[in-house]
Amino acid sequence: MAMQTKERSVQNGVILELVGDLTYANREQFKTAVEAIRQKGCRHLILNMAEVRFVDSSGLGLLALISQNFKLSQGKVSMLKPQSYVREIMSLANIQKLIPVYDNEQDALAGQQKAA
Amino acid sequence: MPSTPVEQAGQATGQTVLIIDDEPTACVAMAARLKHLGYRVLQAGDGKAGLEVLRRERPDLTIVDWMMPEMDGPSFCEVVRQDDALLSSQILMMTSNDQPEQIAEGLARGADDFLSKAASKYEITARVQAGLRAAGLIRRLEDVTAEIRRKQEALERELQSAARYVESLLPASGSIGPGVQMVCCYRPSLGLGGDLFNVVPWSDDLLGLYLLDASGHGVSPALRSASFSTFLRRESLLRHVGSSDPGAILTEANKHFPLTEDGHYFTIVFATFDVRCQTLSYATAGHGGAFLHRTSGEVCWMARPNLPLGFDPSTVYGTEVLAVEPGDRFYVLSDGLYEVPDSTGTLWGQERLEQLVRTFGHRPLTEVLSGAVNEAVRWLGHEQFPDDVAVMAVELTEADRHE
Repeated sequence: MAMQTKERSVQNGVILELVGDLTYANREQFKTAVEAIRQKGCRHLILNMAEVRFVDSSGLGLLALISQNFKLSQGKVSMLKPQSYVREIMSLANIQKLIPVYDNEQDALAGQQKAA
Repeated sequence: MPSTPVEQAGQATGQTVLIIDDEPTACVAMAARLKHLGYRVLQAGDGKAGLEVLRRERPDLTIVDWMMPEMDGPSFCEVVRQDDALLSSQILMMTSNDQPEQIAEGLARGADDFLSKAASKYEITARVQAGLRAAGLIRRLEDVTAEIRRKQEALERELQSAARYVESLLPASGSIGPGVQMVCCYRPSLGLGGDLFNVVPWSDDLLGLYLLDASGHGVSPALRSASFSTFLRRESLLRHVGSSDPGAILTEANKHFPLTEDGHYFTIVFATFDVRCQTLSYATAGHGGAFLHRTSGEVCWMARPNLPLGFDPSTVYGTEVLAVEPGDRFYVLSDGLYEVPDSTGTLWGQERLEQLVRTFGHRPLTEVLSGAVNEAVRWLGHEQFPDDVAVMAVELTEADRHE
């Protein structure tokens, strides 16, 4: 399934809504959308995963990559509402160690404030 | 009479037109006209003779009369369309009876276009040129398709050669140390993944084993895996890590193999058997494919939630230690064995694999491995696994144990 992305600015960050699969086939689209946000100087990227059904090994690598890239520019990446299957894949690879997972926007933003 | 631009069009191209007509007068007249336009012209007196010329000369365009003895125009078209070597030929059907029903029948039976015998010379020229245009496009399409097929075949040969190279790096089944038997199985996917496994003989009593998976498909992950396997050789590990401790090895490997710029990485399970102390030490990095099948029947998966290699350079990988006894079996495998979908998309999964291993009990390891592969193939519905399948199974045997 192809991926659609929609970004929305919030206080101190950008929420990127993802719809579709985060897989090898959609990697360029995902990377381009995220890189454009980073280039604009965003310090906190929040990925809304509520509409993502599947993340493959390639998608997992991309998440690690963007997390590293944001860290290099003194930013961070958080994740919102992953579906249970995706959450399972994430936790097997311990991704939440790099990208904290939140159940709502307020908590994600508060996490950012706490870190600051 | 001065030539119009339309009449000149065929002169430089050297294209060939075949005329099939049983009436010599009509045939000669059409041939003269086309020769005048600069085309190379071939002639045949009926459908059968026409087929022979078509096969031999592969003209760019064939003009065929409807009414002919032996094989008429529509029958000729039908034969051409059923012949793989000829079916893309461009055919212009010529008839004096150009009723809509007859035109429809001719097109339905395989003609590409129609030409009335009463057509003006301008119409004849224009229709011949239109047919040749289509023929040119089809020929280009065929050339490009053949080129793509050649490149595809070359690529597949390269992938097969890379797969053979990866296979040459793999250990052979058999005794890998005193009292330790190993059986392995490797089936690279068509696209070639980056699975690799091997044995690291530390000493008579200490045996390292690993199975790694480079993310992605194709030659690149296979190359990355081969490079990683060089790092995981005994001498290299002694130099870089100075220890046989699985956690220390992965912690060091994590620094040597960062994420690639495309976000590619390794997952790995590394284990060390201490034959004398009867312990199995292991560490995993994002890899969930290792379990211990004890003589008691208990199956113990060794998945620990932790980061794949390269995700965070500061990660410290810990070592877990399990006591083992003769008869215990240790399996390391790639998820390519159990992450196989049936026709509805349901994965075979770890639980079904575990159930199969329990059912096979302590029958010989080779039977368990081939049983697992056969069951995965049955679930998948065909022989072609979507990802690499790599399995290494190790059993501690009592009989020839070194005391």
